Order: sequence, then structure tokens, then C-alpha cells
Amino acid sequence: MSRNVHGFDLEARLNRRTFLKGCAMAAAALGLSDDMFPKLVKAASSPRRPPVVWLHFQECTGCTEALLRASHPDIGRLILDIISLDYHETVMAAAGNQAEENLRSTLERYNGRFLCVVEGAIPTKDGGIYCKIGGRTAMEILEDVAPKSAAVIAIGTCASFGGVQAASPNPTGAVGVRDLFNARPVINISGCPPNPVSFLGTVLHFLTFKRLPPTDQLGRPLFAYGRRIHDHCERRPHFDEGRFADQFGDSGHREGYCLYKLGCKGPETYSNCPTVRFNDVGAWPVGIGHGCIGCTEPRFWDTMTPFYERLPHVSIPGTNGISSSADSAGSKILGITAAAIGIHAAAGIGKRFLKNKPAETDNT
Amino acid sequence: MIYERRLAWSVLFRLFHWFFALSIVALVVTGFYIGDPWTNTTVIKEGKIFTMEYMRYVHFIAGFVFTGAVIVRIYLWGAGNRQEKIMDFLPVTSRNLKNLFSTVAFYLYLKDNYEDRLGHNALAGLFYLITIVMAVLQIISGFYMFYPESSFWQSCGLLLFGTQGQGRFLHHLFMWYFILFAFVHFYIVVWNDIRCQDGLISSIFNGRKFRPKKV
Ligand code: HEM
Ligand code: HEM
Ligand code: SF4
Repeated sequence: MSRNVHGFDLEARLNRRTFLKGCAMAAAALGLSDDMFPKLVKAASSPRRPPVVWLHFQECTGCTEALLRASHPDIGRLILDIISLDYHETVMAAAGNQAEENLRSTLERYNGRFLCVVEGAIPTKDGGIYCKIGGRTAMEILEDVAPKSAAVIAIGTCASFGGVQAASPNPTGAVGVRDLFNARPVINISGCPPNPVSFLGTVLHFLTFKRLPPTDQLGRPLFAYGRRIHDHCERRPHFDEGRFADQFGDSGHREGYCLYKLGCKGPETYSNCPTVRFNDVGAWPVGIGHGCIGCTEPRFWDTMTPFYERLPHVSIPGTNGISSSADSAGSKILGITAAAIGIHAAAGIGKRFLKNKPAETDNT
Repeated sequence: MIYERRLAWSVLFRLFHWFFALSIVALVVTGFYIGDPWTNTTVIKEGKIFTMEYMRYVHFIAGFVFTGAVIVRIYLWGAGNRQEKIMDFLPVTSRNLKNLFSTVAFYLYLKDNYEDRLGHNALAGLFYLITIVMAVLQIISGFYMFYPESSFWQSCGLLLFGTQGQGRFLHHLFMWYFILFAFVHFYIVVWNDIRCQDGLISSIFNGRKFRPKKV
């Protein structure tokens, strides 16, 4: 098997040097000490490591693509090598009945021991008919596979929280894995797409320690989602000093100033993007001049939009969807209040005139 | 009529009031700046004044003062003097419910006389309660952003507001409650001071109100 991806010639087998390099990257992301490293390498190369069943539901395959192709090929090879993929609709050679047979036999042979990776949201409306594979709905497949696994890794924001399918008005009733299933440990590697290193780190942690890494309240591993983007961003000194780009392409933008006023959602988004970065070339969205859009957060399509403004709009009741910014709505209400106060004061003065009464009724 | 001067508000209560009011002024000004930093690349050469770092610093100090004041007020609800206790002004007892309606009529110029009280009237008391509840929400959303890596604040924030983004949005929206409250509060206090004889405004400085002396 030799493929040519982006001009790199892929060897069917990974050499030991790149294998160790990849393990070192994941170990660094996990924050493991040097002493733990041999243990991790041993676990990753053990022939008895658990196989992986990879389920695709409502998704764009972007997570798989990010994992296998966008990077320098090593990481993709490493992942394919470390995890023994028994079932993955995008990369497996088998098709049709043969593929379904593979799935069935893995579930049987490795009952309770394989890792289940879910990519994509699960539609629940109308009995889940909006996503079917081999005649079964996504809900049925998940119900069949997930309880037999050792643990579930939800990769991407769709599998974690529903993603774009779940954006309002969510026509198919799409939800993330955790909303349906919690009989086994479920970990969320959110992001659109997530960083391959976060996924790799989680898998290696599982192989080495036989359990999933500790998570935050949203089920995301702390080693990758424990800190906000804003708190590790290279533009942060410009933020603190009050130097902002006002428009794309203006002088501030060209100087590399902070993208806060262009709607950067780094201050409200947890991810390791600024430290781990993407594609082995040190690039990440904010680094190349585009604000963060908050893709690792639940419901980010609804709560982080408009992407190029700092805060969402408030919709004005009774106007059928007309919205305005929080501050202009606030100042309008303030104006109405001021008018009401004026009327109230005028009424008091007017009444006093009408009654023609002296203000002081007592003579103290 | 002969009036006597009687203590209405303890020192702690007056300290609460002014720390609360002044911290809100600081929080609103710096909050607006944090939301939409108006000094910008144009003043980069002006040195270290009015930077985001400075405004956030002031915001956080004021935020802690605000939090302290709110804790004091909640303590006084239970342990303050008679006027400061929550049951003295909440419109749940029949005495306060009657007072609520008569105060509304008085404010709408439907009645010329008012019920003489040493403490808050029930309408004011109701809004003071709402204000403290809003203040607690503002504090929780503030600390949710202030300690982004604490799992305690993350659970509180997720439960009450949602993600950091939603918490931040609500923190910004809630600010408008305080602006509106301060505006209306100031008007009503002045209006009362003009219409009534108890010397309301000076009471928040010296703690004393004037009451008709019973003979
Ligand atoms: C020039 C400014 C102000 C004056 C003269 C003033 C005066 C007063 C007075 C006289 C009271 C007692 C009213 C009563 O018995 O019903 C009071 C209570 C109160 N004021 Fe102010 N005030 C001022 C500014 C503010 C500001 C800016 C805020 C905050 C936004 C504020 C918040 C409150 C609260 C929450 C109470 C009720 C305290 C309680 O019982 O919980 N005040 N104020
Ligand atoms: C009446 C009280 C308060 C008002 C009116 C207020 C107002 C604001 C506003 C308008 C913002 C900007 C939000 C945005 O547009 O993104 C903000 C940010 C913030 N506030 Fe407050 N705030 C108050 C109390 C507090 C308290 C008690 C804390 C607790 C420490 C706090 C902590 C914060 C933090 C951490 C931020 C985010 C700053 C950043 O990430 O740079 N606030 N506040
Ligand atoms: S670019 Fe975004 S993440 Fe970076 S400092 Fe500015 S607001 Fe924060």
C-alpha cells in the first residue's frame, strides 16, 4: 500500500524514529514526565492494544481529514499505526456486507475492550431517520456499538455537542453522544475540526493508563481544553496594551494587533490551539490574522455569532426577528426610561399647579 | 407638627450603600471599556494610561468591593436593625402588601398622603431585593470569567448561564439593569425628598430620618 499524498511518498510502515517523535508530541501535550514516556511507547506498540471502531454519523468527514491528511503525513500514519482500526468507513478497504461483517465480528471478539470513536451528530427527530447506514439509523448503531465498547471518544464538535446540525432550529433534532449515551465513559474532543494531537493524546492516555484523561465539566480532556485561547495567545500583549485591529487589512491588522474588536472569541473558548497549533507548521487561525470563532464550545453556531462582532445580538420582542446590539438596545430602553421620568416629573408639577396648593402643608 | 430625628440606618448599612454605588460606577465605566475599548491604536504612543490591562485591573478591584458590599447587605437582611431586615420591606406580609399599593398610588399622584415609615416602603424594598439578586448573578458571571480554570466556577457558570460566551453576554446585558436602576433610583429618591418630610437623602449619609413626634 503506497499512496501519494501532497507529494509525500508514504511508506506502508512507519519507521521507529517518526513513531517515537509522534509519541513524544502526544506525551508533551499530555504533560507526562520523562519516566512515563517508555511506558507510553510500550503501550502504543503493544500488539495487544485494543482495536478501534470508528462510527460516522451526521458529519462532513472533516475530523477524519484533519487527522489523516492535513498534517505532515507522519501523524496520520502514526494514528493509523497506533490504533488498529477495525472499522472506519472512510479508510477501510471493505465495503457493503463485508464491512458490516467486520463490524459485527469486532464487536463480538472484543466485547467490552475496543475503543468506539464517534464522528458526527446523531439525529433523533422522527425516530432518527435522517441518518441511516446499512439500513440502520445512527441511533440504533450507537445503541448497538457503544455499550459494548470500553470507552467512547466523541471526535469533533458535532459528536460532542451536536455541531452545525444542531444549530437553531435544529431540523433533525441532532444531539451529541453524551446526550444519548452515558453507560460507558464518553470523552469529548471538540473542535471543528479538533487538533489531531488532542485526539492522539487521549488515545495514548487510554492505552497507557487504561482510562480516559481527566475532563472539564463539558467532558473535554483538561490537557487540551483546560485553558482559554485568550490566555495563551501570542497577540495577548497587544490586548493588554489596548492595541486592536479595527478592520481586516487596516494598519493595526497588519501590525499584528489583537483581533478582539474583529470579533475574536478567544476570551470565551477553551482549546490548546495557541500552544499545539496545526499542520506541523506552527499555524493557527489567530496566528494568521483571523479571530477565533469558538468552535470547541457547545452551540457555537448560535452563541458565538455574528463571528465578526464581539457579542451576540438581542432580538427585540414583537418585531419578528429584528435584532440589535446589546448596547444599542440598552441605550434605547434608557431613553424611554428618561422620557417616562420626565413625564412623571411634569405630571407632579402640573398637578401642583392645578390644585394650587402650597407644597408645605405643615409649619414646622 | 413636631418632628423627631431617629436612627434608621446603621453605619454598616450606609457603608454598604456607598461602596455598592461607587463600585457600580467604576464597574460600568470599565465594563464599557472592556466591552468596546475606545482608546485604540491611535493612542499607542500615549504611554500606559487607559490600557485594557489597567481597565481590567480597576474592574476586578471594583468587582471585589462590589462582592463584599453585596455579602454585607445579605448579612444585614438577617442580622441588621429592624429597618434593614428583609421582612420589614418585602411585600409578603399584609402590612407590606398594603404599603405596596398605597405607595404605587402615591407615586402615580392618586394619593397625597403617604404611610410614614422609618424603613423602606414596600415598592422600593421589592426593587432593592431584585437588585441584590441581579448583583449575585453579576458576581457569579464575573467570577466565571475571572477564574476560567476553576471547576467550581465552571459548574456554577454552566448551570446558570451556559458557556463562557453566553456568560459574558449575560454579564454585559445585566450591566444595563444596574444603569437603569441607578437612573430611576436617583430620580425616585430626589422626588421623595421633595414630596416627603423625612429627609430621605440625608438619611443615607447620616443614618437619621425625621418622624412626626407622637404626643
Ligand atoms: C447620588 C446618589 C444616591 C443617593 C442620594 C442615594 C440615596 C439612597 C437612599 C436615600 C436610600 C434609602 C432609600 C429608602 O429608604 O428607600 C438608598 C438605598 C439604596 N440605594 Fe441608593 N443612592 C444613590 C446612588 C445609588 C446607586 C448609584 C446605587 C446602585 C446602583 C444605589 C443603590 C441603592 C440600593 C441597592 C439601596 C437599597 C439598600 C437596601 O436596603 O438593600 N444607590 N439610596
Ligand atoms: C454591577 C456590576 C458589574 C458590571 C456592570 C460589569 C460590567 C462588565 C462589562 C460590561 C464587561 C464587558 C463584557 C463584554 O462586553 O465582553 C465586563 C467584563 C468582565 N467582568 Fe464585569 N461587571 C460587574 C461586576 C463584575 C464582578 C463582580 C466581577 C468579578 C470579579 C466581574 C468580572 C469581570 C470579568 C472577569 C470580565 C471579563 C474581562 C476580560 O475578560 O477581559 N465583573 N464586566
Ligand atoms: S486575538 Fe483573540 S485570543 Fe488573542 S489576545 Fe486578542 S482577543 Fe485574545
